[in-house]
Amino acid sequence: MSEAFQQIEKALFDTALQLNQPDARAAFLTQACGTNTALRLKLEKLLQAHSQAEDFFSINPLEATARPISQGLEEDSLETLESLEDANVYIGRYKIIKRLGEGGCGVVYLAEQQKPVKRSVALKIIRLGMDTVRVISRFELERQALALMNHPHIAQAFDAGATDSGRPYFVMEWVRGESITDYCRAHSLNIRRKLQLFIQVCLAIQHAHQKGILHRDIKPSNVLVTEQDGKPVPKVIDFGVAKAVENHWAENLTYTAQEQLIGTPAYMSPEQAQTGRLDVDTRTDIYSLGALLYELLTDHPPFDSQRLLDAGMEEMRRILREKEPPTPSQLLHSLRQKEPAFPRGHHGTAPWGDLDWIVMKALEKDRQRRYPTVNDLVMDLRRYLNHEAVQARPPSKIYLLGKWIRRNRVIFSSAAAVSLALIAGLSTSLWLFSKERYARKEQARLHGEAVTAEMLTRAVFLTRENNYPAANAVLDQIHSPPVRASFDGVSAYRSVGNWLALQGRWQETMDRFSILKKIGGIDQWESVTGDYQSYGIALIESGNVAAYPAFQQECISAYSHRSNGDEASRILKICLLEPGSWSVLQQLRPIGTRAERWYATLEWPNSIGHSVIPISLWRYRQGLYNGAELYAQKGLDERDKTSADYATIRIILAMSAWKNHRPEEARENLEKAREVIALRFKQPFSSPGNLHDRWYDWGYARILLREASSLIGIPEDLEDS
Amino acid sequence: MRDLTLLLESVGSGHTAASEDLLPLVYDELRHLAGVRMSGEAAGHTLQPTALVHEAWLRLSSANQRRWNDRSHFFRVAALAMRRILVDRARHKSSIRHGGLQERLNIEDVSLSTVEPDDRILLIDEALAKLEEEDAESARIVTMKFFGGFTNKAIAETLAVTERTVERQWAYAKSRLFQLIQSAG
Repeated sequence: MSEAFQQIEKALFDTALQLNQPDARAAFLTQACGTNTALRLKLEKLLQAHSQAEDFFSINPLEATARPISQGLEEDSLETLESLEDANVYIGRYKIIKRLGEGGCGVVYLAEQQKPVKRSVALKIIRLGMDTVRVISRFELERQALALMNHPHIAQAFDAGATDSGRPYFVMEWVRGESITDYCRAHSLNIRRKLQLFIQVCLAIQHAHQKGILHRDIKPSNVLVTEQDGKPVPKVIDFGVAKAVENHWAENLTYTAQEQLIGTPAYMSPEQAQTGRLDVDTRTDIYSLGALLYELLTDHPPFDSQRLLDAGMEEMRRILREKEPPTPSQLLHSLRQKEPAFPRGHHGTAPWGDLDWIVMKALEKDRQRRYPTVNDLVMDLRRYLNHEAVQARPPSKIYLLGKWIRRNRVIFSSAAAVSLALIAGLSTSLWLFSKERYARKEQARLHGEAVTAEMLTRAVFLTRENNYPAANAVLDQIHSPPVRASFDGVSAYRSVGNWLALQGRWQETMDRFSILKKIGGIDQWESVTGDYQSYGIALIESGNVAAYPAFQQECISAYSHRSNGDEASRILKICLLEPGSWSVLQQLRPIGTRAERWYATLEWPNSIGHSVIPISLWRYRQGLYNGAELYAQKGLDERDKTSADYATIRIILAMSAWKNHRPEEARENLEKAREVIALRFKQPFSSPGNLHDRWYDWGYARILLREASSLIGIPEDLEDS
Repeated sequence: MRDLTLLLESVGSGHTAASEDLLPLVYDELRHLAGVRMSGEAAGHTLQPTALVHEAWLRLSSANQRRWNDRSHFFRVAALAMRRILVDRARHKSSIRHGGLQERLNIEDVSLSTVEPDDRILLIDEALAKLEEEDAESARIVTMKFFGGFTNKAIAETLAVTERTVERQWAYAKSRLFQLIQSAG
């Protein structure tokens, strides 16, 4: 019947009722119903029922259901009685001892089981009056969920049943303990032990997830810690609002966010707080785990429950959705500032950074950015405990170095301090970025960078163990070579490059050093020039002379914005390995001039030969053979006849003398040079060699020797080493 | 009791299932009050359920939340809770009286006027479930009036109708329910 008709009917009924006189009533009905006999009949019947109905309803239901005490105690009086100890109340075969609390749609009692074994159990029974189909289904769901799981850290279900009046209940492990936060506080656990405990909780939740069950109400009071054999054992309880993720379980059972409101909202994820958002998933539990971890570390949940509840529904949602809580470190720091007496002990010391990021990643507002599974969270925590790099944020170079130092304390000496100082100026942190668009690209890039950085660290470590083949192999695997200098990167590539050079593997040497050229170096340019020199030598030695001009151009532009004379000198040197074209010589002119000027300012050249060679050779290349000779003479230091510089100068003198039509002198000089070089190359080179014995200086000398030999006509009979 | 307020607020924002979630809270309180009030008291004492509801309201709500619309929601839910409580108590009492057997009352054999109050309550509850299907508004009024014991005025305020409407609905509903009870069995 339509609502309108209903209203009309009621109105008619009402009016008719008012007319106490039978005649008046009949008359009214006739008029109102007209020919509608069905309506009239209906109304008459209703009117007839009315007086009886009045009587029937004239009772006071409260009184009607009052029970004299003498009737004895039944199960439902449980809820009104305070002490059950002596009352001898049974539910099924379990004797009820006392009420433990409530959760969701049921009440939990402590009970005693007699058979098959006597033990204390927790009995959860559905509340009186809550036995609608809906509620019973939920209750049953919880029971089934519990029965499915089998994990040492999840309270186990033992038995289930229903009372005579049809109230379902189930029996589970009685967890006697305190909440995990209380326990950690009471026993002053340090961070490591807290994390180990927490990891066990995570594994329990992971177990549930694997069974397709979400907990949805993870908070300290649902994670109890008992002691078994003196060791703390955490147990997750109360899957009371748990939801089964498999479709056929969830049908017809919708859970609302309001349930969580009955507890504490501090652990509620943003998506749970939203009205109507029922699509929570495993990451929702991860958020709550993050909040729990937060509280374990700082003794405060990420948000204050009181404040959230006071704020009202809308505001609470907004806060959970938008407001970023301080990182645990920040919070502790500000707490310490407010209260100097704040206990420091078990909050630990650096490196806090990583733990912060692990927690904050779990607490991300956007669930896509949280850990995808509980296992990922566990792995990061384990990495943290092993001082390995965690996933939670892209590792900056400083960070990785710090990690590495911590892992290899024994090996590292004061060199570390120097490196750190060098790195300090680098800007590497890209943790926060605003636009999602960039974020994805950034992630990919950073991931590549992170992977590379790890590998570089590994490579350096291997070089320090003198395991160059392995280090080289690692470098081979790097797909995205670093674009910025890092201590590890430079060190790795240089060491391995040098080693490869000593092996005579020139092409590979070039590969390594070309990367070094690209990333520009991190320490003084002196080393960078060394990289250029290494590369240049390798280039010539590899036979790829045709590429030399391009290399020269590279050197020229690398130096173009610099003005340091020493650097000019080095760059000049490496650009003079081959007779250059006129245009190249032109381009080298400013560098040459700079180098000469620098030489002129030297009061006491540290290494005469070293500074003379470039400008002497520079003159030579320009065809200024007298000048070349003059400079070379100045640089000749008879005190050290075994150095590469000495040999090089001799070669320059030889070539200049030859060009000046003094062949005897030329051959003499050349012979001397050849002796020195031959002698040196009989010994193995070490990588990278000391300052005065760099392999590339010797390589340089040897290259020049070849040139001079073919010039002067003396066959080369050096053994290539 | 901030929890209550939030729940009420969400009821206000139209979340249909919320009243069932309010239920445990309210239920607990009322049940406790009912137990406390009724234990040891002699029959014949005229205690209205409404007194319990009001008391529960005072206990559960906080001072600055006693706005009328919150109270309305509360009352509606409280009435539902009371109904449950009373029906359950009635069932229990009735089953004891019938020797623990879950017998259905055979209406045909028995004149309705001789039915004991606790059984009446059960019959009314059953019939009310049917009435809910055909006339939700009347059913609501019955719940509030009969089980909740609210005054017409309170019901009118809560449901945002006139008192006259309440009276009319109540009268109609009683008759209709009685009919349903008669025809059941």
